Amino acid sequence: MDSLNLIREFLDGRMGVPPQQVVPAASLADLGVDSLLMLELVFECEDRFGVTLDKNLKSPKTVGELVALVDRLRREQG
Amino acid sequence: MSQRRVAITGLGLVSPFGGDLADFFARLLAGESAVRFLRTDDLPRPLNMPFVACPGFDAGTTLGRPLAGMLDRFAQLGVAAAFAAWDDAGLPRKPEIDERDNWGVTWGSALGGVLAFDKGYRDLWQNGRERLSPLSIVLGMNNAANAQISIQLGLGGISTCHSVACASSAIAIGEAFRLVRSGEAPVMLAGGSEAPQAYAVARAWEALRVMASADQASAPHCCRPFAVGRNGMVLGEGGAALVLEDWERAVARGARIHGELAGYGTTCDHHHLVRPAVAGQVRAIRSALVDARLTLADIDYVNAHGTATPEGDPVEIAALREVFGSAAAALPVSATKSMHGHLLGAAGALEAIITVLALREGAIPPTAHLDSLDPACAGVDHITAGRHSQPLRAALSSSFAFGGSNAVLAFRAVAGQP
Repeated sequence: MDSLNLIREFLDGRMGVPPQQVVPAASLADLGVDSLLMLELVFECEDRFGVTLDKNLKSPKTVGELVALVDRLRREQG
Repeated sequence: MSQRRVAITGLGLVSPFGGDLADFFARLLAGESAVRFLRTDDLPRPLNMPFVACPGFDAGTTLGRPLAGMLDRFAQLGVAAAFAAWDDAGLPRKPEIDERDNWGVTWGSALGGVLAFDKGYRDLWQNGRERLSPLSIVLGMNNAANAQISIQLGLGGISTCHSVACASSAIAIGEAFRLVRSGEAPVMLAGGSEAPQAYAVARAWEALRVMASADQASAPHCCRPFAVGRNGMVLGEGGAALVLEDWERAVARGARIHGELAGYGTTCDHHHLVRPAVAGQVRAIRSALVDARLTLADIDYVNAHGTATPEGDPVEIAALREVFGSAAAALPVSATKSMHGHLLGAAGALEAIITVLALREGAIPPTAHLDSLDPACAGVDHITAGRHSQPLRAALSSSFAFGGSNAVLAFRAVAGQP
């Protein structure tokens, strides 16, 4: 599964966010992702892709920024 | 500061019979038991015990998935009950102006989010996971329900969780009552919720040897307060909430008033952790009566703590005999835990609602399965079948906790209210 679809699946299951709304330009805050949910999402990405996100990293603002971050880590750490 | 009268303008619950107050009360009046048998697939030893669940409650449907996912089941049950009480009071979920800065919530839960921690232990020790969900703490914390209720309803005043074993929510209601009566808070939401079916918690209760034993067939009839041969309590899950409101404010906005919360007494036995004492309960009952300015003759019903333990029930009846003296023999008493189980920290709130409904409807629910009275529990008028058309004026609801904490709430009927 690619990163975008993982985020879509997570937000659909956890929040009921329709997958078609989860597009790269979408603001994570507008989709209802607050700081706690972001932690959950980060954990999900780490568990599913076997990557580790830096605790001090700047929080991504959009779906596209999160996808880019996770994809980069998958390349570097995978 | 002059004391204000306290109106009960909202009632809400998540019960094994659902959330409909009229249906819930009608089933209790009919003596219907919600006790069933719980069997899990845990290894090496599954849970096999009588239990009262709320099978009709789906948190995702009731609260929506985003909110439900932020809450352990105890808090889901609590927030749902709070919303129901709020809606029943005719108050909007979100305030239009900052009028709620001194409105608050006092909640009761003996155990808090134990299912969240239960899942954590299973993940770590059973499922081989190396870390837990980042939500574990906010799901498990005892004040999760009241915190989320404050957030959702925009309540800017006090927001506390009272964890006082089986008296938790009775004390929460009593403390809210004091705030409304003193004028500190014009509106308070008070109640409690519990979901005690975590594996280690259930096994711990089992170890204490206070749980009713039963099989699949006998489970519905196994909780028999005051009866000969009773053998203990049955755990249950659920949530119950009341909206307490300054009387004049309630009247001014045309609110339906279910009843009046008139007094509250709380004491400690200061005696033993699990052995109740007559003296401490007597002081709590008298304190509630004095606080409510009610006489013995005013009390037409007592919803007893009545857990069906061999040791606790006679102590409670002895306390009533001591307080009511020669009037005790005619004092109607029932223990509804025989039907809805023991909700631990939520028990006081659920039974407060039952007491208010009894006053409002002029009907007394029974102690179910009380076929043969234990002589040690004699001396009051035990209600063994639902009693209808009773002109009830005032009633008490008692909660007596491990640790020796006692709480008694005194309610008055409201004339002319449906």
